[in-house]
Amino acid sequence: MRGLHSALDAAGPQAGRIEDLWWIFFSVCTVVFLLVLTALLAAVLHSRREKERHRLPGPERNLTRAVGGATAVTVILLLGLLIASVTTGRAVGSPAPSNSLTLEVVGHQWWWEIHYEDPLPSRRFTTANEIHIPVGLPIRIKTRSSDVIHSFWVPSLHGKRDLIPGYPTETWLQADRPGVFRGQCAEFCGAQHANMALVVVAEPPAEFAAWRSAQLQTPPPPATALQQRGQAVFLAMPCPACHTIAGTSAGGRIGPDLTHLASRSTLAAGTLPNTTGHLAGWILDPQTQKPGNQMPAIALQADDLQALLAYLESLR
Amino acid sequence: MSVAERYEPNAGAEADAEEARRLRETWKSRSGLIGFLTETNHKKIAARYLVTAFVFFILGGLEAFVMRLQLARPEAHVVGPDLYNQIFTVHGSTMMFLFGVPVMEAVGIYLVPLMIGTRNMAFPRLNAYSWYVYLIGGLLLYGAFFLNTGPDAGWFCYVPLAGPEYGPGKRVDVWAQLVTFTELAGLAAAVNQVATILKMRAPGMSLSRMPLFVWATLVASVMTIFAMPAVMAASSLLALDRLVATHFFNPAEGGDALLWQHLFWFFGHPEVYIIFIPALGMVSAILPAFTRRPVFGYNAMVLSIVATGFIGFGLWVHHMFATGLPQLGQSFFTAASMMIAIPSGVQIFCWLATLWSGRLRFAPPLLYVLGFVFIFVLGGLTGVMVASVPLDFQLHDTFFVVAHFHYVLIGGAVFPLLGAIYFWFPKMTGRRMFDRLGKWSFWITFVGFNLTFFPMHQLGLQGMPRRIYTYRAETGWGDLNLLATAGAVILALGLLLYLINVLSSWRGGALAGNDPWGAEGLEWSTTSPPPIYNYQHLPTVSGRAPLWEQGDDQPVVVGLRTDRREFLATRLIDAEPDHRDTLPDDAWAPLATAIATAVTFIGVIFTPWALPAGMILTTIALVGWFWPKRDRPRDWMEEQP
Amino acid sequence: MRPRPRIDVSALETMGFGPRSTLWWGVVSMLAIETTMFALLFATYYYLRGNESIWPPPGGNPPFVPATLCLALLLLSVPPMAIMHRESGNERNLKKMRFWLVVGMAIGLLALGARAAEIAMLPFRWDHHAYGSIVWVTIGMHAIHLLTSGGENILFAVLLFKGPVEDRHLVDLRLNAMYWFVMVVWDVMVYALIYLDPGVLRS
Repeated sequence: MRGLHSALDAAGPQAGRIEDLWWIFFSVCTVVFLLVLTALLAAVLHSRREKERHRLPGPERNLTRAVGGATAVTVILLLGLLIASVTTGRAVGSPAPSNSLTLEVVGHQWWWEIHYEDPLPSRRFTTANEIHIPVGLPIRIKTRSSDVIHSFWVPSLHGKRDLIPGYPTETWLQADRPGVFRGQCAEFCGAQHANMALVVVAEPPAEFAAWRSAQLQTPPPPATALQQRGQAVFLAMPCPACHTIAGTSAGGRIGPDLTHLASRSTLAAGTLPNTTGHLAGWILDPQTQKPGNQMPAIALQADDLQALLAYLESLR
Repeated sequence: MSVAERYEPNAGAEADAEEARRLRETWKSRSGLIGFLTETNHKKIAARYLVTAFVFFILGGLEAFVMRLQLARPEAHVVGPDLYNQIFTVHGSTMMFLFGVPVMEAVGIYLVPLMIGTRNMAFPRLNAYSWYVYLIGGLLLYGAFFLNTGPDAGWFCYVPLAGPEYGPGKRVDVWAQLVTFTELAGLAAAVNQVATILKMRAPGMSLSRMPLFVWATLVASVMTIFAMPAVMAASSLLALDRLVATHFFNPAEGGDALLWQHLFWFFGHPEVYIIFIPALGMVSAILPAFTRRPVFGYNAMVLSIVATGFIGFGLWVHHMFATGLPQLGQSFFTAASMMIAIPSGVQIFCWLATLWSGRLRFAPPLLYVLGFVFIFVLGGLTGVMVASVPLDFQLHDTFFVVAHFHYVLIGGAVFPLLGAIYFWFPKMTGRRMFDRLGKWSFWITFVGFNLTFFPMHQLGLQGMPRRIYTYRAETGWGDLNLLATAGAVILALGLLLYLINVLSSWRGGALAGNDPWGAEGLEWSTTSPPPIYNYQHLPTVSGRAPLWEQGDDQPVVVGLRTDRREFLATRLIDAEPDHRDTLPDDAWAPLATAIATAVTFIGVIFTPWALPAGMILTTIALVGWFWPKRDRPRDWMEEQP
Repeated sequence: MRPRPRIDVSALETMGFGPRSTLWWGVVSMLAIETTMFALLFATYYYLRGNESIWPPPGGNPPFVPATLCLALLLLSVPPMAIMHRESGNERNLKKMRFWLVVGMAIGLLALGARAAEIAMLPFRWDHHAYGSIVWVTIGMHAIHLLTSGGENILFAVLLFKGPVEDRHLVDLRLNAMYWFVMVVWDVMVYALIYLDPGVLRS
């Protein structure tokens, strides 16, 4: 995932504009810094050796002119940077285009709830911690928090936006090339703030459409006996109190929606890769991986665990 | 005969010795523990403040070191998340509340009366009170921390995380009361400085002849008066939300989570200037001795400090750019945040002009000033970057900001402070610090600092947010973090060498005379260390660089009584002598009042009844403080028929 | 060595009224701090108000009568305190100082009573809603100042009657009067904030 969360590796127009602005600021500031250092060095080298006596200089017109000139240059440079900043700000802060796909991102301690919106209710769905978007389409992001302040940040695509309870806001972003981009919560939100990451997958429109259809579908009843047993285990354990799986009686909203768990690449908001082994470890002992998070340990016999894993892995 | 020695009049040596003896009798502290607890002399209180502040600096540094150890490798297990979150909160709170402001105030408390030619500060008992309250606040924080009840919501303690619902227990309440104690202390010190600087200057020290360090202290004190109430208000409202279920920050009942941020940052931004402006004053005080000329551009320097103070109040929303506030409003704060670079720039340019046209002496104080220019300018430039709203969208709440503020705070405040201590150490202790060790500690600190914090710029750009106790290896942040930790080791070594220098020079350094540096300020005309009464005859001034400009015919003040603690009050603008007044004797009242304050504000963590109970106690203590004493003859007023 | 020229200050008086004294600057700084606190509470009030369409929220308005009575009494207390301030000037008429201080103090005590009644009659608690919180805290903060400056009045009255009164005490007394006047100004602002709120006036 290296390089897939860098503000200097923009994959979308907003991050791109900001990256351009960064290079402008960086260049100007580097030049200024080098000038100041040069002046400092020159002053140090230029001074004649110290004599004991002090002196009380008279009017120093040359120095006054130099200081005045440097100040004037400072003002002009700052003005230029201000203009560049405001221009970029307007560009990245423009309202979402009308053809946007709309998502609502709701922050929780310590995971991301994501609703894909649509005028048609039957085309809406909910997922968690992983966002897929089609390349080249603007994505309108509505932000909300259910508990404390979080911050939604995918550096490759755009700057961050805080999720503040009582303050729903809106921003938009876009990916101009396919890729997997990592994001992370950027506002301290408690014990597991460090482990509240997310994955944004930008894919060609056809693949996105396929992903979306899959997400819209209710999972069929479990096919194999093992998976059926797994579903029974799921419903018998405390799991439905917090989690939802569409098509079953599990409708809990405290934790992430698990309807299409197997389609995601990570677990626990980017904390673990989504593999059988990690999933098993997570279910049995979430507190070791993410101490303080809200999921209790679930004690399971080995065969129940196998069944549950088989069931969960069928939820694509 | 040095300039300083020429200053002490010598006519009638025996009469002078007798006068000095009487002054010592009148101004001296009591002895033993009672003397310690009733102390009101500014030099002694400043010494306590300095020692206390540096103890907290070391503690804060240790916390930082643990953080660096934890972050050096991905998924390390040096400390778990709960302890880490307490550590970074306590680190920030320590550095900002228990070190940054108090240490700058301490230097001012020591120096200002000496620099303006008077005997003590305007309110000596208030001075003592402020140290007690500060100490109690620090003990509260660390006591709680060692009991695993340290605050853990960050030094800026955002709600709702810090509110009653998501911040259970007493951790945040400890933070709120730490703020109460340290802000009370800070406000008391600021009020003291304002009255002292405006009314107790030496005759002839008009405002336009005041040393730049005194100007800086005045501006920082006025800023304190208008900024600290905001954090007092914020922390009090938070304490009320947590303790008695008010709804200031509870969106469900009409409260507002952003209200906290506005109130806090309205204080929080000026706070960093309150720390930084006295350091600018220190730079201006150090340079003349090592460039053999006064600082270039006095008027521009004064205007710059004042402008920085004003503009500093107009920046606070730049901490809130990511919240989704309207763009146009945000751009105003970008403009203001960039604009403040102008007066800072003017100061840098004036100092460069001073260096250019001076004749340099490369002692450690000058090295720290040069180091300051390098580090602070870099930090100021990254500040211009984060002032831009769109750039801040990427940089906010990342390690880029961590790099930025450590550059401006360590470069802009700590480096001048280290230079200042080196510079005034002879005055305070009578001995000089070791030169070779001083230079080594400077270079090691400089290199270590840059190695620690420069990589953090890159880490922020690569997506590393702040306040995370760990990160995964795939993020790619491991190498730069390891480098930063290595730098931290070197930085710690440099600071350790400085500490060793201080401790070993205290008794073992070369004896300094009155004026080891050949400097120009009034404080160098008295002995090292000064007598308890500072000057046998209060000086007068006729220029900005008294020891350089004035001759044997510069008058001194006579006629102040030596049988009571009399001082000279002078006029506001031109410092003409106005009247005499008397300072109180050493007293128990500051300690008693501080204890009453402690009972009030520590009690209130546990029960709201502590507030009325504590107020009654405090009232009793204050009545004892202010009750008129009649232990010496005074001017009586006749009762009229 | 020739003796240095000297400036002899022994003839200067030993106290100064007003901005001449260090204490004046200390008290003014303290008043600036407290005024800033009030200003921040007012800003908080308006900030919270901006979030609501109905303000005050349903459940009763703050009690107009005791608050207005308190304000009126405080304004009434200004002339006596001002006279006391004048009499403590260079003329120093102790009898008049005592009289007018007691008058001002008595009116102040009545005002304190009105304030207490106002608090007791608030129809909402601080924990009902944000409006309740800010109103309680603002009125409460002013009540504390009314209590403190009133308490100082009492202590000064004791001093003026018990004596002996020294010049130095007059500086303190006059500063106490300044505190009182500023406290009254704060009440004007608090009253305007809470009771002249358009939402309150409408109902």
